[in-house]
Amino acid sequence: MKDLTTEGAAARRPPPPPRRRREWRAALVPTLISLASIALVFGLMGWLVTTAEHWPRIQKQFFNLDAMLAAWPRVLQGFWINMKIWLIALACIALWAMVLAVVRSLRAPWFAPFRVMVVLYIDLFRGIPALLLVLLFGFGVPALQIPGLPNSSLFWGTVAMVLCYSAYVAEIYRSGIEAVHEGQRAAARSLGLTEWQTMIYAILPQALRNVTPALMNLVVALQKDVALLSVIGVRDAVREAQIYTASTFNYSSLIVAAGLFLLATVPMARLADYVTARDRARRLQMAR
Amino acid sequence: MTEKTDTMRRALVAATLAFGLAGGAALAQEKTTMDPRLTTPGKLTVATGDPVYPPWMMNDAPESGEGFENALIYALAAEMGFAKEDVVWVRTGFDEAITPGPKPYDFNIQQFSVTEQRKEVVGFSQVYFQPDKAVIALPGSPVEAATSYADLRSARWGAALGTTDNDYLVNVLGVTEAAVYDDQAGVFQAMQAGQIDATLAALPTALFVTAVQVPEANIVALLPPDPNDRGHGLLFAKDNPLIPWVDEALSGLIGAGKVQDLKNTWLVANPDLPVISE
Repeated sequence: MKDLTTEGAAARRPPPPPRRRREWRAALVPTLISLASIALVFGLMGWLVTTAEHWPRIQKQFFNLDAMLAAWPRVLQGFWINMKIWLIALACIALWAMVLAVVRSLRAPWFAPFRVMVVLYIDLFRGIPALLLVLLFGFGVPALQIPGLPNSSLFWGTVAMVLCYSAYVAEIYRSGIEAVHEGQRAAARSLGLTEWQTMIYAILPQALRNVTPALMNLVVALQKDVALLSVIGVRDAVREAQIYTASTFNYSSLIVAAGLFLLATVPMARLADYVTARDRARRLQMAR
Repeated sequence: MTEKTDTMRRALVAATLAFGLAGGAALAQEKTTMDPRLTTPGKLTVATGDPVYPPWMMNDAPESGEGFENALIYALAAEMGFAKEDVVWVRTGFDEAITPGPKPYDFNIQQFSVTEQRKEVVGFSQVYFQPDKAVIALPGSPVEAATSYADLRSARWGAALGTTDNDYLVNVLGVTEAAVYDDQAGVFQAMQAGQIDATLAALPTALFVTAVQVPEANIVALLPPDPNDRGHGLLFAKDNPLIPWVDEALSGLIGAGKVQDLKNTWLVANPDLPVISE
């Protein structure tokens, strides 16, 4: 009987859709139209810019190859500092935000004071502009001259970025934790897992997977916001570019810095797109 | 917007008047107050920083004529034939001043240092002042005992963006990793936070800073001027046709000893301080 039904089902299965052939031919015209319109729009924009009366002057002051080459070594050197701060801050933020999010999501009543502290922390650090935090930590804390604490602006600037971004990331983690179905928690608890174990083995793995795309967004944002540390004297790519500009009145160095940031953030953005698409396919169980 | 149309209307009225006076026979004459190449013919429109600091201009009030640079501008305007009330002040930031494109003023004065590289993208008048550089530090800083460039080089330096102080550190002292802050205020915050040992400034600025803004800081030594830094000049848009006229007037002032008089009035003569020159 069982075999029969399967066979019958197979027999009744609708025929597969006809394979689409010569797809390239159908796609040819739209592709040509796309290419032509891209060429037209960008060509027109390029023409508008380069025929502007002041273009030669702009070109000399913003897109001067000699100036770019002259600024390149220092700007690149500054960019490595950006990258180092970024990676160190990322690691610290990932951990610290996790602590904040987990504490905020624990439900046992004796965690109440800690929950309140986390809520206050997030309100405080998410509510203050990052630039202000960088100034307060970079100049303010070292001025206290507390013995035993470092007074480097690099250190305190990074601390400010970690404190600020952790508040955002903690909220993203929390949204992921809250998005996990209540049944998962109940099931884990009914297996005899403690609240901690439930969090670590049942909730967090699912929560993190859900919020990865949102986190990638912040990773890219942090990469650029590291430039805020330039205001407390850290010689990052932006500051090196500004130093060149101030000394020569030539802005080409800023274009160099912008290019370096793009080189770093565009691949990150594509990676974020890819992760998001994969996640969407997984969640919605789309055919691939 | 209204201000702009106002200026335009005034310019138009001035132009018509000029035409009328000249009997409609010729364009308003060059190198007169009605020079059509001025931003607003009939007025000398001068830009400066926002805010401006003593002793360059006192009380953040350029129109008072009190201070070295604004007194210089009024003397220059008189030399060019403008009445005191025909000098119009506008305020700009550093970056606005150096961007390309037309400017809503004739020239800008805020201690812009003349260098060859800058000349490629902007115009300068001749130099009107060449300051010494002063080393500023808090008591207890390692630079207090410095007697040579080598001693100075071992300190942690800070400088403000937009000044030629960092160039000086690189070119003359060989300090390549100075911390560079947005402005002088940032430099002194970092100094008070113990993040840097010393900074540089043009001597008149240094005298003001150590007397008024950060009285606990001292000038510990003077340094000779950087040969690459020609000194302060008036900043024009590149190829501004007014430059020769202004230079001529400036030469007149310098020749008559008026710039020296203004220096004696507003800038303290070099104080008795150790000079480190090698």
